[in-house]
Amino acid sequence: MKWSSKLYTTLIFIFLFAPIVILLVFSFNEAKSLSVFSGFSFRWYEELFSDEATLESLKNSLILALSATVISTVMGTVAALGIYRLRKKWYRALLNTVTNIPMINPDIITGISMMLLFVFVGRMFSASTSLNFWTMLIAHVTFCLPYVIFQVLPKLNQMDGDLMEAAQDLGCTPFRAFFKVTLPEILPGIITGAIMAFTLSLDDFVISYFTSGNDFQTLPIRIYGMTKKTVTPKMYALATIIFFVTLALLLLNNLVDNDDSRKLREKKKKSKAELLEE
Amino acid sequence: MQKKEPRLNGGRAGALLAPYSLWSLIFILVPLVFVAYYAFTDESFRFTTENITRFFTATSNLKADDGTVSEVRTYLVIFSRSFKLALISTLICLVLGYPMAYIMARAKVRTQKTMMTLVMIPMWMNFLIRTYAWMTILQDTGILNNFLTGLGLPVVRIIGTETAVVIGMVYDFFPYMILPIYSIMAKMDVKLLEAARDLGCNGFGVLKRVIFPLSLPGVISGVTMVLIPSISTFYISQKLGNGKFFLIGDAIEGQYIANNLHFAAAIAFIMMVILLVFMGVFRYLTSKVVSGGE
Amino acid sequence: MLLAYCFFILPAQAERGAIMEKIIELKNISKSFDGETVLDHISLDIYDNEFITLLGPSGCGKTTLLRMIGGFANPDEGDILFMGERLNDTPPHKRNVNTVFQKYALFPHLNVFENVAFPLRERGVKKAEIKEQVMKMLSLVMLEGFAERSVTSLSGGQQQRVAIARALINHPKVLLLDEPLGALDLKLRKDMQQELKKIQKSTGITFVFVTHDQEEALSMSDTIVVLSEGRIQQIGTPTDIYNEPVNAFVADFIGESNILDGVMPENFKARFSGHTFSCLDKDFAPGEPVDVVVRPEDVDIVPKDEGMLSGVVTQVTFMGVHNEIIVDIGGFKWMIQTTESVNVGEHIGISLDPDAIHIMKKSKYSGVFGDYSSYSNELDELSDPGGEE
Repeated sequence: MKWSSKLYTTLIFIFLFAPIVILLVFSFNEAKSLSVFSGFSFRWYEELFSDEATLESLKNSLILALSATVISTVMGTVAALGIYRLRKKWYRALLNTVTNIPMINPDIITGISMMLLFVFVGRMFSASTSLNFWTMLIAHVTFCLPYVIFQVLPKLNQMDGDLMEAAQDLGCTPFRAFFKVTLPEILPGIITGAIMAFTLSLDDFVISYFTSGNDFQTLPIRIYGMTKKTVTPKMYALATIIFFVTLALLLLNNLVDNDDSRKLREKKKKSKAELLEE
Repeated sequence: MQKKEPRLNGGRAGALLAPYSLWSLIFILVPLVFVAYYAFTDESFRFTTENITRFFTATSNLKADDGTVSEVRTYLVIFSRSFKLALISTLICLVLGYPMAYIMARAKVRTQKTMMTLVMIPMWMNFLIRTYAWMTILQDTGILNNFLTGLGLPVVRIIGTETAVVIGMVYDFFPYMILPIYSIMAKMDVKLLEAARDLGCNGFGVLKRVIFPLSLPGVISGVTMVLIPSISTFYISQKLGNGKFFLIGDAIEGQYIANNLHFAAAIAFIMMVILLVFMGVFRYLTSKVVSGGE
Repeated sequence: MLLAYCFFILPAQAERGAIMEKIIELKNISKSFDGETVLDHISLDIYDNEFITLLGPSGCGKTTLLRMIGGFANPDEGDILFMGERLNDTPPHKRNVNTVFQKYALFPHLNVFENVAFPLRERGVKKAEIKEQVMKMLSLVMLEGFAERSVTSLSGGQQQRVAIARALINHPKVLLLDEPLGALDLKLRKDMQQELKKIQKSTGITFVFVTHDQEEALSMSDTIVVLSEGRIQQIGTPTDIYNEPVNAFVADFIGESNILDGVMPENFKARFSGHTFSCLDKDFAPGEPVDVVVRPEDVDIVPKDEGMLSGVVTQVTFMGVHNEIIVDIGGFKWMIQTTESVNVGEHIGISLDPDAIHIMKKSKYSGVFGDYSSYSNELDELSDPGGEE
């Protein structure tokens, strides 16, 4: 890389990481200040772990994210299989468009639109409050689904279509063939999709904000409430923990991915002579 | 795309698709219809255009910096401000992100992977916290100003200005600009670049005549992915703009909190329509550039 | 068939370099990637107006050599001269050389016209002139009606023509072609071979053509450079290369051949397979071990008793014009192409005219190639699973 490119890259990364580094550093600040570092302490971590409401919201977030992940991964994988086998072009195009909507639509519109549906249905049944855990779960599953589908579908398309037929030719029932042949092939896509769904759900604020009731608060909603007032470094401590957990998940995902790339590298090595000629 | 032969079990697609089709109908499409339905009805669900009219006609007094007060169309001002700030942020993201994507795509494969991960890491920090971190950096007694006064420089007032809002937007959505452009550039056939050099282009010529036109689809999705969340955001402006610069998102949130669901739906509806038109025009224009060649 | 090419299709070759001007000189070029030597002290002169082919198996360094002339790779050692001037550090866009890329590298965002016009626009040529030149070039490659078409909608052969038009429009002194016909089907390839040859003749531009297809090389080139493992094995006209291969590699790579171990007891005598033959070669040390090449079509089949050598037919394959037969003579499997019909198990004799026998000095390739055993290399590898993966 040229020095100018290196310099540019460095500056961009400073811009990207400065706030995060500051946040990490100040989570260990002794004083309450978010701008003057006066000494190292675990004070804010201790306070965080004695903050019942925050811990409760963390637990809620995890429950919600896990449920949303399981449902959207199963449903998304089944949907991807369906789309893969779909022969009607218009149906395929339609599903593709519809699946894109939650990804392209501003979060605020996705949130508002679902909220309106829930409120309307709630009124029909004259429920006192129409927003609760279940409405949030539906919303989270809805915005996670496209990510699962678009992770699994390419893996299906990459798969040699003859594999399934070969397995059946060799005596597998279609059902068994799916588990013995298709599933292992698309598993990396499913795992990536699931991890994405989990992190997105854990991280989501806007859609949750519009579809949550008072009785079920997730972590981002709790953070939003906290930042309305003055913030203590306690929140930074929380952010630091979340950051490292998601980082670990990200690295885990990279490991899954790397398995593919390692195989690719080996292949590359083999045909190096040919590659040189290419 | 190669044509796929009909496979065994092709007939089962329907059964596999039923749950998802139903789900996306009820929870993706129907809610959008509800936005329109609420936008055009009143509290008792009778048809009305009042919400829409209110959006275009509601007025309020705006105090300018020099103290003069003028009456303005509240939501039109908010709308144009949202568009202005979002467009500026998108442009900055594009100008900063394009070279970054270009550098990444030309790096060694291993470096590319590392840089990719580094670009993505900030996205895994909750955006509320990211934004809040900028607040502590930029505020009058914040880290930036501590640093500046430490150097004997005057304090800069950034928080509560449009600049702060733009910084927040750029920071929060920057990776969305880099990634699509990078991924399209990384896939670009090196032979095409060699061919251009072979046919007489210098480095800049290759960039202008081959790389840029070919990367346009990436630019389009990058712009879309930055512009849309920037326009609709409602937190950044409250925190970094000190609540002085209401954006569309803030307006929707405000109406939601006040339980004016019909008016909130009307604002959302108008935003949706304008975004659709805007993206349509944008795509049309860029597609003309691509196919026009010169 | 190959012989037919050589005798009937190829025009008589002028003595190479006698009257022509050197346009590119490669001097002692070496290059290695990751410690692997790709080019090993290559020196080569390319003359004006010639059709020169770099021929060799994949990995022999031919494409790297081409890329160096084009300016896409730099030699670790050695110089590239263009009309006497050192070219090493000149970037591709400043070289009077253009390339037809392997998979064409047409710009997908531009239509046919704009692809061909690309270099002209870069030079800022006037609009009217661009149109005139592009149209002229499109008619040269017979694509007049295709100007407004998208390049992605074209067939392989048509894309090929666009790539040629685009590379020629700047009137380069040298056109580099990197396996340009590799992606075409057999029939189209034959047509394009003829056409490329025609274009080369009519434009007078030097063509440097890279291929691994020996038939293609034989039928198109004025000069063939045979490369293997980063070294030039032989430079010569197609007839030279076919008739007088310098070593076992060239003999095996160009056409089919029977390569035997032999010795030269004296001038014009070669001894192999337990028999002494007359030949046309001389200037070997008495008793020097040599490689002997006999082309399959040069072997005459005679009754068993009249043959210089005799053996049993183990395999007969009908090839259309001729039969390809394998004869086991003293354990060595000869391949013979003949129009006579023989049967498996038949005992036959063979006879060799002096001009059928080509004597080559021993080289590192001696013993690598040889007879036609009843199984292929692949089967050979299967029976030896301990080897390389």
